[in-house]
Amino acid sequence: MGAYFIGAHELLGWVDGLRESTRIIGPVAKRQRFVFAELESAAQLRLDYDVTILPPKKVFFPPKQQILAFDSERVSDCIDPVPTVLLGVHFYDVKGLDMTDFLMRERYEDWNYLAQREATTIVASSVQSVAPRAFWGSIGAHVRPQGHDAMLTKVSEGYVLETRTPKGERLAGLERFRHATDDEVAGAERVNAAVMDQCSQLMPYDSKEIATKVRESFGNEELWDDLAMDCFSCGSCNIVCPTCYCFDVRDSWNVDQTSGQRTRYWDACLTREFAAVTMAGGQKENFREHHASRFRHRFMRKAAYLHDKLGGPACTGCGRCAAACTANIADPVRVINTIMGVTL
Amino acid sequence: MTKPRVAFFDFASCEGCQIEFTNHGDAVILELLNHLDIVEFREAMTETTNEPIDIAFIEGSFTRESDRVRLQAIRSRAKTVIAYGACAVTGGINALKNHQDDFAEEVYGEAAYMPHLRSGTARPISAAIKVDHEVRGCPVSKEELLLVISNLLHGTTYAVPTFPVCAQCKRRETVCRYEEGDHCMGQVARAGCGAPCPADGIPCEACRGFVDDANLGALEKVLVERAGFSQRRAVAKSRMFTANLRS
Ligand code: SF4
Ligand code: SF4
Repeated sequence: MGAYFIGAHELLGWVDGLRESTRIIGPVAKRQRFVFAELESAAQLRLDYDVTILPPKKVFFPPKQQILAFDSERVSDCIDPVPTVLLGVHFYDVKGLDMTDFLMRERYEDWNYLAQREATTIVASSVQSVAPRAFWGSIGAHVRPQGHDAMLTKVSEGYVLETRTPKGERLAGLERFRHATDDEVAGAERVNAAVMDQCSQLMPYDSKEIATKVRESFGNEELWDDLAMDCFSCGSCNIVCPTCYCFDVRDSWNVDQTSGQRTRYWDACLTREFAAVTMAGGQKENFREHHASRFRHRFMRKAAYLHDKLGGPACTGCGRCAAACTANIADPVRVINTIMGVTL
Repeated sequence: MTKPRVAFFDFASCEGCQIEFTNHGDAVILELLNHLDIVEFREAMTETTNEPIDIAFIEGSFTRESDRVRLQAIRSRAKTVIAYGACAVTGGINALKNHQDDFAEEVYGEAAYMPHLRSGTARPISAAIKVDHEVRGCPVSKEELLLVISNLLHGTTYAVPTFPVCAQCKRRETVCRYEEGDHCMGQVARAGCGAPCPADGIPCEACRGFVDDANLGALEKVLVERAGFSQRRAVAKSRMFTANLRS
């Protein structure tokens, strides 16, 4: 599709113009961090953010999502998509969405996710600040981001908007844009290429090699006990991850005790009871009883099991888990590089 | 269907958990009265009862032998007993005194020797009687209480979250206390509260007690390495709600 240019001083006017007709969700500041939130004015937009606390997956699959409402007469779904422009998604998070887009369609189509996904136009944006724990420069380099409708790149005098779909093209159809010159397009390409070397963290292995070695490390209990020693089983590493998609379902009644709702919540495989099941007779069996086996499971999923399905690692290199882990042990760079370095 | 008869009782506590129930306000409580028959509740009514009851909410910790007698009497006429609030579930804040002997004068001054202040070890009510369900927290979460009640009314059991508070902070995108140079116990504290304290900029004190298998060794390490505590302070880190859960 097309390539357009907008002057730096025109950008906020464009965003405010869009706000008149659609909901816009973009990165905004929260204390010293950033979160994706609905913009109340374009001035809140922080395209210079490094990484958000939660990934943009939450727009389609909220941490707490009502999926059914019931009363004594009927049960109804709660699918109610809102036309949205999701603005300012970094490329590594687009990759994360590509993975959940695939996983939420696999076998069973999850319309609680897909309906809002289809009602959303995604405008990716160039990375202007690199998060300290990010390693997207070296992981899954062969996997290209695909799910965005347009890409906005900051160049010296303004922004280049490259559209990829008719949805993206419609955004550029608004006033304030002009066609970008070849030089501007080449400039944007240079900006996006240059940032790839900016991560201080490196995972210098091919993802297939990683998948093989991680799988082989499964039986090395000493290694995993060691890696997981300080684990709190808190699940923070799961909750902040763009590619985690497990949820727990709970029913609750309203105070009238006849109507109520079914709600799903993000679950976390690092937590103690995630793999606990109740058996006949009421006994519980936990097939990942020990924290090291849960810690190992996360890496098996991200590096090996899902790799087979997705053709690349189920990790975008966003570094959120590394930053969220108070014990400072969840970092894939530490874990994978350790595994790659040991003789099993 | 007859409505279950519900009564509230209190032992060593501030009765704040019972007040938390009344904080639901008229609309919720009047609706609940269509489903429950509250027969004793001294925060809100004068009547009491010696008749059998279906659900007993017991607030407060067990600190005297006379408490045991009263607890047993409640148990013997109640179908379901609910330990209600931190004091009843773990001993709560009262258990702080279990680890020191100089508190009486410190707290009560000249009145320290009044006979009614002579109490023993502060224990959970489960040390005296069988408890069917627990509602944790200081105070309890009033939203969670509604879930407990509606599950009882429907003959099901409320599934209490067993994971730590961290997960609930992350779900609501609270900036971690550690990232602000503070400390926190959310990694080992039981969730279910919805993590309101860190969202207000206050470290979690684990008022709902510890998760099972809490990694206290790792907590000490994080308090030293990330929050800058001395080793001694890390080990002794607030026992405010967890005195009975530590060695
Ligand atoms: S690895 Fe870290 S973030 Fe993940 S569960 Fe363990 S302590 Fe929590
Ligand atoms: S595993 Fe960690 S670095 Fe990888 S995508 Fe998930 S949160 Fe980001």
